[in-house]
Amino acid sequence: MTAYVIRRIWQMIPTILGVILLIFILFNWVGGDPAQVLAGKISNPDQIANIRKQLGVDQPYWYQLWVFVKQVFTFDFGRSWSTNELVSHIILTRVGPTLTVMLPCLAITSTLAVLFAVMVAYVRGTVTDRGIMIVCTVAMSVSFLVYIIVFQWLFGFVLGWFPVQGWSESFWKNLTYYAPLPIMLAVFVGLAPELRLYRSFFLDEINQDYVRTARAKGVPEKKVMLKHVMRNALIPILTNLAILLPGIFVGSFLLEVFFSIPGLGREVVTAVNRSDFPVIKAVTVYLAIITMIINLLVDVLYKLVDPRVSFK
Amino acid sequence: MSAILTSPPAARPHESPGLWMLAWRRLRHDRVGMLSLAIVVFFLGLMAASYFGLVASDWSKEKGVSYANPSFLAGQENLEARNMAERRAAVKAPPVDLSDVDPLAPRYKEWAERAAKIAVTEVKRSETLPFGGDKWGRDVLKKAIKGSEVSIFVGLASALLATFIGTVLGAFAGYWGGKVNDLLEWFYNIFTSIPYILLILAFAAVATATGKFGKGIVPIVLILSLTGWTGIYRLIRAEYIKHCNREYVKAAQAIGASNASRMFHHILPNVSHVALVQLSQYTVGFIKAEVILSFLGFGVPVDMVSWGTMLAEAQNELVIGKWWQLAAAGASMAVLVTAFSLLTDSLRDALDPKLK
Amino acid sequence: MADAQRKVLRVAFRAAETGFDPQRIFDRYSVGICENIYETLVSYDYLARPVKLVPLAAEAVPEPEEGGTRYTFRIKPGIYYSDDPVFHGHRRELVAADVEYAIKRFRDPKLRSPYEWLFEHNILGLDELAERAKKEGKFDYDTKIPGIEVRGKYVVSFKLKEPNFNFLYFMAMPNVVPVAREVIEAYDADTMAHPVGTGPYVLKEWVRRSKIVLERNPNYRGFELETRYADMADEWDRRAVEALAGKRLPLIDRIEIYPIEDEQPRFLAFLNHEHDILDELPFQFINQVMPNGKLAPQLAAQGVRVFPELQPEITYDVFNMDAKTNDGAENPVGGYTPERVALRRAMVLAHDRNQEIYIVRKGQAIAAQSPVPPGVVGYDPDFRSNAQDPDPPRAKALLDMFGYVDRDGDGWRDTPDGRALTVHYKYNLGGQEQRELAELWVKCLAEVGIRAEAVAVQFADLINDKRVGKFQLAGSAWIADYPDAQNFLQLLYGPNTEQSNEARFKLPEYDRLYEKSLTVPDGEERNRLYREMTRLVFAYAPWRLGVTRRFNHLQYPWVKAYKKHPILYTNYKWLDIDVAAQQAAMK
Repeated sequence: MTAYVIRRIWQMIPTILGVILLIFILFNWVGGDPAQVLAGKISNPDQIANIRKQLGVDQPYWYQLWVFVKQVFTFDFGRSWSTNELVSHIILTRVGPTLTVMLPCLAITSTLAVLFAVMVAYVRGTVTDRGIMIVCTVAMSVSFLVYIIVFQWLFGFVLGWFPVQGWSESFWKNLTYYAPLPIMLAVFVGLAPELRLYRSFFLDEINQDYVRTARAKGVPEKKVMLKHVMRNALIPILTNLAILLPGIFVGSFLLEVFFSIPGLGREVVTAVNRSDFPVIKAVTVYLAIITMIINLLVDVLYKLVDPRVSFK
Repeated sequence: MSAILTSPPAARPHESPGLWMLAWRRLRHDRVGMLSLAIVVFFLGLMAASYFGLVASDWSKEKGVSYANPSFLAGQENLEARNMAERRAAVKAPPVDLSDVDPLAPRYKEWAERAAKIAVTEVKRSETLPFGGDKWGRDVLKKAIKGSEVSIFVGLASALLATFIGTVLGAFAGYWGGKVNDLLEWFYNIFTSIPYILLILAFAAVATATGKFGKGIVPIVLILSLTGWTGIYRLIRAEYIKHCNREYVKAAQAIGASNASRMFHHILPNVSHVALVQLSQYTVGFIKAEVILSFLGFGVPVDMVSWGTMLAEAQNELVIGKWWQLAAAGASMAVLVTAFSLLTDSLRDALDPKLK
Repeated sequence: MADAQRKVLRVAFRAAETGFDPQRIFDRYSVGICENIYETLVSYDYLARPVKLVPLAAEAVPEPEEGGTRYTFRIKPGIYYSDDPVFHGHRRELVAADVEYAIKRFRDPKLRSPYEWLFEHNILGLDELAERAKKEGKFDYDTKIPGIEVRGKYVVSFKLKEPNFNFLYFMAMPNVVPVAREVIEAYDADTMAHPVGTGPYVLKEWVRRSKIVLERNPNYRGFELETRYADMADEWDRRAVEALAGKRLPLIDRIEIYPIEDEQPRFLAFLNHEHDILDELPFQFINQVMPNGKLAPQLAAQGVRVFPELQPEITYDVFNMDAKTNDGAENPVGGYTPERVALRRAMVLAHDRNQEIYIVRKGQAIAAQSPVPPGVVGYDPDFRSNAQDPDPPRAKALLDMFGYVDRDGDGWRDTPDGRALTVHYKYNLGGQEQRELAELWVKCLAEVGIRAEAVAVQFADLINDKRVGKFQLAGSAWIADYPDAQNFLQLLYGPNTEQSNEARFKLPEYDRLYEKSLTVPDGEERNRLYREMTRLVFAYAPWRLGVTRRFNHLQYPWVKAYKKHPILYTNYKWLDIDVAAQQAAMK
């Protein structure tokens, strides 16, 4: 087992190097010149050249790439070029708000999705089943942008049930006052696809032989669903959750922009607009590493949970 | 010589219907599926009609006043239009004489004569339009139709390209295995480790910066497909791994079929149903992604309209009470995407031999 | 002071801040915060219109000496910085050496200051010091230069290479402020987050891009409203004078600033009483707030006030005047020959500025009649030309006359020598408004038969492309750094190509007139020169003049003494709040 884990960690390195290379090509090589953004209203080519020198982008590409690689392995990306804030500080302070919205969203969405999926699988094939699935599909078809515009206007402004936007320093206030509307929006939009997916997982299980055996043995349907089917369907469900997990760190930049949440998603979009390489590089690399670690954890958990799965 | 008795032609063996025939039959019995198919076909028809200019070809003509009301709200107050109409005439102070410094001065007289001969056409603008007008006075209904053409086209084209890329790469990875597989897996890992929004923004930034992605809708199609191929790659690769060891492939090898032939002539048709379902899902996903890209400014160029550009325009219109563009684009997109998604489901059910 | 009585002002900013090191920042929001934390030597009077320079940290506004090449400032004794651990418990007084240090910082290559240009080619000896710093990689702050003389504790005198009658305006800019050297050196790379100034407020809290909190500086000496320049016939002046009579300023204890970039949330937040002031009401909502030009009833009932302002700025479209664009391609709109002038003039006549004003900007703008906007010294209110008024028939006539007709039958006009003509308009893809302006260009040009393509580019690339001349036509804007026409007319001065002269306009006659105008103070002679220069701009059309925008600033009635200043970005230190009314409304 340890050998497996170590081998997997070792295999992450080429991927990280690949990520570094891709990001480097896309931003450093082809992307917009950050010196232009940082120069003032009136500046001459000399000043632009000076800015580029201070930022280090006047160095040959191979040198910049080498610096990038070093930064990854020392976890020090320096400071943001536009605000001079330490990149590590940026990430640590923005992750909080993003997670304050995304973690409850993930928890609520998944719980509701599993519950509804079980119920719908129970009545599969009926009009209720079909009806709910169609409602889900319709809900999924409206653009997230439309939801945000309408919900903010309707619930925040017209009805006044929630603040239109904002954030505070108090975690509790954020969770109970500012986050609910964005969370509600995110759940609304995310529930339908997860519900459909989990329903298909449940149906896959229901059609397995062991279920037929259980029924033949006389086990009541409810017990079949809750004890047997649920337990087995949990595996792909947890796998799906694991796939979704890395995504919550960046969250939804649309939500953060419209609701003024100082989160990582919004930070990333701004960084791309300003060609703020340190922030872009740091966020990408850290998220790539998190994704790979989560995948590894999932695989290990698989092995622990299901002895049939073997390690290659 | 007596007539040679030919044995009666052997009874034609009962042809078992192929996968597609079976699927079609099953689909025919799926009421929701057929309805979705009808809706999708309707939109595709609309798309074709729009493309060939049969409808909505004059979508960019400003027939109405600014923010013209929809016909069913004819009497509603329209301050924007009124302001435009009542615009105060600029203070007509005597203009300054440029004739001593103006390079055009020698031909002033000729210029005035020519200008006088050119007729001025005043077009009367309508106070209402069937589903209202946007800020320039363009017909929202026509925009929605033209927008659906562009959005569906972008969605389909990106989906096709992404499916093509993913299928080819997946085929190679699954079939060849070994070093080829390792390389492609490495590629896949890179693309899936980077957060999707960052990947899209990076490619979009490159597309606008270098201009090498082309013009018109080509950049957005390339952005979406170059970042979206990973899902189908995984599926196709898994399918190829499964099929590689099957009898029929070994048989093909025995009769001397080349690798290329085996990959694409023999195996591919057997995995095409997976590709088709994924293509359908991609279309839906990319149509929705186009909206987000348009919101960020990376959408279709100024002389075209898509659902994304309509929604981006409409983001501030709800608060001022002009809801019709938001509704038109949002609703038509929702209807198409719903129909497409339900069709995908029905297609998957129809093609899946297990689910019966 | 009991918490209930604390006066708290809540404001939203339109864009995110970057930081608070005055010599390093560029964006007006960060600079606006610095206005409250630091003090310039001279500043503007709150109420005087047209704007008037008055002393702030200095005892008096210096008179130009030695023909406009020397300016001597005497700092008021007894001005103290806010407390900071770096001062080890002592009160640190403001001294002239701090001014010298700050000015030098602008030229320090390590800071890459966006305002370096303010002190280029003027102060004697500074350019050489900056050159040396570039070579050595380190700026030598201790070397004395002839251009900055520190005489004793409180006097600093500047000597310039050439006369400059706008130098005082430079010294009034909110980021030209003295800073304490020991603070800068102590915080080194973190100066953006540790501003220490002599102003009325200190930075109390900062959650980047989310919340900025300023609180009263306990070391601040306080001041009273100067009423000398008040116009009692103006209702805003009158209200300010009444509200602040006999009071010691600043009155506000705490200012909370929230950057909200998106418009719908910022607007709705104000309507929801989450903020007290809404500066720069987004244009789209003008008809909610002021239908038919009158305040909406539900806002009027709450006592909301609207301050309309024409900011000293212009928007304009720039033609690249070079024959070829930076990447070597032919540039159909550049050149000084009659044909090329005709093409540009025709394009300008084809553009419907009315639609720009009434549809894109919702009527909240006036057409610009010259490169110099109202409210700026040197503005001529009587100047008008019809060379830029929308007139499609005249545009078509002009094009026909000079040979821009359709030769290949594709329905679009071609160049006189028979090549296909396509005009490329570059715009910033970030904003919806930019996209609409691009749409307007494309359709107006199509109306007269010219084919145009709108190319969306990212902000950084657009700045670069305009600077190096890799464009044909692009939008631009300029807001006054200081209230003098020179700040606008320098945008067309030949030698400023590659810097602020985006049009790359190189007309010897214009340059000659501009250089002459630099040597003359404001008056008849200078106005005559400016008039000549403006006529040339209309004749050769390197720009399509756009608009001066009309901004509307909203306040709730519990905010007292509000008057928006055209040059200063914030006015918090002159405001008062009726706390009871504010609390009542928030329930």
